[in-house]
Amino acid sequence: MQRRFPNRVLPYILLSPSIVIVIIFLIVPTVQSIYMSFFRVSPFGDRKFFVGFENFTRLFQSSAYLHSLIITLIFAVLVVLIGLSLGTVIAVLLNQKLRGLFVYRTFFIWTYAISPAIAGTIWALMFNPSSGPIVYIIRSITGIGINWMTDRNLALAVVVIAASWKMLGYNIIFYLAGLQAIPEELLESASIDGASGVTKFFKIILPLLSPTTFFLLIMNMLYAFFDVFGLIDIMTKGGPGDATELLVYKLYRDGFISMNTGFASAQSVVLFVFVAILTVLQFKYTERKVFYG
Amino acid sequence: MKKILVVVLVLLSVVAFSKTTITFWHAMSGSNLTAVDNVVKGFNESQNEIEVVAQFTGSYAETLTKAIAAYRTGTHPHIVQVYEVGLQTMLDSGAILPVYQLAEPGFDWGDVVTPILNYYSVNDQLYSMPFNSSTAILYYNKDIFAAAGLDPNKPPSTFDELYEMGKKIVQSGASQGGISFGWPAWVFEQMHATHAQFYANNQNGREAKASQVLFNGEFGQKVFIEWMKWAQDKVFVYGGREYSANTAFLTGQVAMLIQSTSSVGSIQKTASFNVGTSFLPRMEGYPRGNSVIGGATIWVLKGKSEAENKAVWEFLKYIIRPEVSLQWHKSTGYFPSSNTTVKLLMDEGWFASQPNHLTAFLQILSGSNIPEAQGVRLGNFVAIRDVVDSAVEKAVQYKGKDYEKEAKRILDDAAKECNNILREYIQLYGD
Repeated sequence: MQRRFPNRVLPYILLSPSIVIVIIFLIVPTVQSIYMSFFRVSPFGDRKFFVGFENFTRLFQSSAYLHSLIITLIFAVLVVLIGLSLGTVIAVLLNQKLRGLFVYRTFFIWTYAISPAIAGTIWALMFNPSSGPIVYIIRSITGIGINWMTDRNLALAVVVIAASWKMLGYNIIFYLAGLQAIPEELLESASIDGASGVTKFFKIILPLLSPTTFFLLIMNMLYAFFDVFGLIDIMTKGGPGDATELLVYKLYRDGFISMNTGFASAQSVVLFVFVAILTVLQFKYTERKVFYG
Repeated sequence: MKKILVVVLVLLSVVAFSKTTITFWHAMSGSNLTAVDNVVKGFNESQNEIEVVAQFTGSYAETLTKAIAAYRTGTHPHIVQVYEVGLQTMLDSGAILPVYQLAEPGFDWGDVVTPILNYYSVNDQLYSMPFNSSTAILYYNKDIFAAAGLDPNKPPSTFDELYEMGKKIVQSGASQGGISFGWPAWVFEQMHATHAQFYANNQNGREAKASQVLFNGEFGQKVFIEWMKWAQDKVFVYGGREYSANTAFLTGQVAMLIQSTSSVGSIQKTASFNVGTSFLPRMEGYPRGNSVIGGATIWVLKGKSEAENKAVWEFLKYIIRPEVSLQWHKSTGYFPSSNTTVKLLMDEGWFASQPNHLTAFLQILSGSNIPEAQGVRLGNFVAIRDVVDSAVEKAVQYKGKDYEKEAKRILDDAAKECNNILREYIQLYGD
């Protein structure tokens, strides 16, 4: 093998900044969480005792945790489905040659630049049961006042909408890039063969986008599992009842509000393993169907 | 030699003129933030040895979490504002300096308003500095009452009246809803206190650490059944966990609101209608208790130098000075902490011109000073309140008619969870 570096040390030096960051921000906290998950600790950390696997057994016996797991799965599936399907459709529309296209593109993409806290505030304001414009419009049309603070399904739906909307810009960017990488000749020859727009979309564009879809599938899933904390915290705080208490939010509540560090660590370990398994499964089964061209 | 002398002199002067800096973390936002800043500014200008730096650190829960995290890494503030549910956690933390130890011997605590003094005292020793104490009262929209054909000067005083008036308001179309609550779990605690019922065993955890909650008993169920019934008839409109119900009240979506007295200032300022206030409504057939204190106090954290602790005490003494706590009360609606302040306010005719500020006082002073109403002390109360909030949210969503069974089920579930929390707390700290 050809030696690209003049000596053996240089590559390690070049890599060291990222390695240090990964160790400090990923490896050390992970190890700490695993360690903490075997203890019960007082809030101020002055008392601590070993409890073995008690935190884990308690976790799987807790109906609240299982409920949270189910809610999270429903939430993740909805966010991924809505995000990917809407993302593809809008990206295809935005890939046409239109007047003022860049304006539309900017409008669609900038949701990704908004922080979760701002996005949460926007949606919470729009759906505010007493002063929200959406609630007002629905009431003036149908006469029905909707209150997502007292309606479990509605609360979940609103959170799903907000979360999908927030991720939409990200999905569109990647789909647009994917679309622009599709060779023009393929579509042209299909047109010459008499393929309709719909056929072209399903038979050519979608398969050629599959690497992007696969990547986005994983990114959106990770987003739905981990990144929606800010939205939930601003919008529902897990309520009403426990209707929108996703795993990450429950973890935060147990760890930082109830100050149950050990129990929360156990949850984070379980969440980590769970997402790791899901990702491996996806790589194993979905990647077979991905066409890299 | 001369040079050295100069250097020494310069150093000395720096030491002599350098101020002791005291950091103060608090959770006061909105107009209350300005009020805190004014108190701090007043103190800093009143002398030139001590500089207090106040920092807003998020909600009560966030402030407590941050203070704990900071304490564990040794970067904690000198003083931190902790809400009433953090009481037991702070007492057991081993991280605090009780204010009675900080005070100079013979300091007269007798001037502190009794319910506040009781709430934060252990064995008659005060542990944290009263700052923003409040209680819950009933606010109502006089205009909506009039529009619904009700007497605007006759707010409901019982649950039954509230239900009847609420129904009338909704049916007449004067408003879409009857009543909303701020801090629902706290209102549930208030209901226990005002009806002389214990919320947890061992005298609400004041005799020994509570090991069991009692809110799923006959009384708690009764309250829940009433609330569920109200919710189904739109008399009760759930409005969120903290202050978000205020919006519903201020926009006229509900005619009544049970909320902390700390909102008197902001509600009066914002409301475009005539605001009335009254005592918390009661259920008949139960003994009369008293409403309970809420809000927060200031805790002194350990691990600072003697000089800094002294400076902290100067600041704490400043905030309960009558003229300071008078201004604080006027700009926020929180109780003035000392009896002298109450007298000052009375003498200048404040209560006569501001009847809504008087309501809270009359309510808390008119009730009886029984153990049930001196405040609940629970291990990890923060988590317990969270569980109860969740239970209220489940109850108000109920659509069926089997109130008794559903109320019992929800409360029993919540109680089970809370008892687990208490058990774990006792495992950690002993009873």
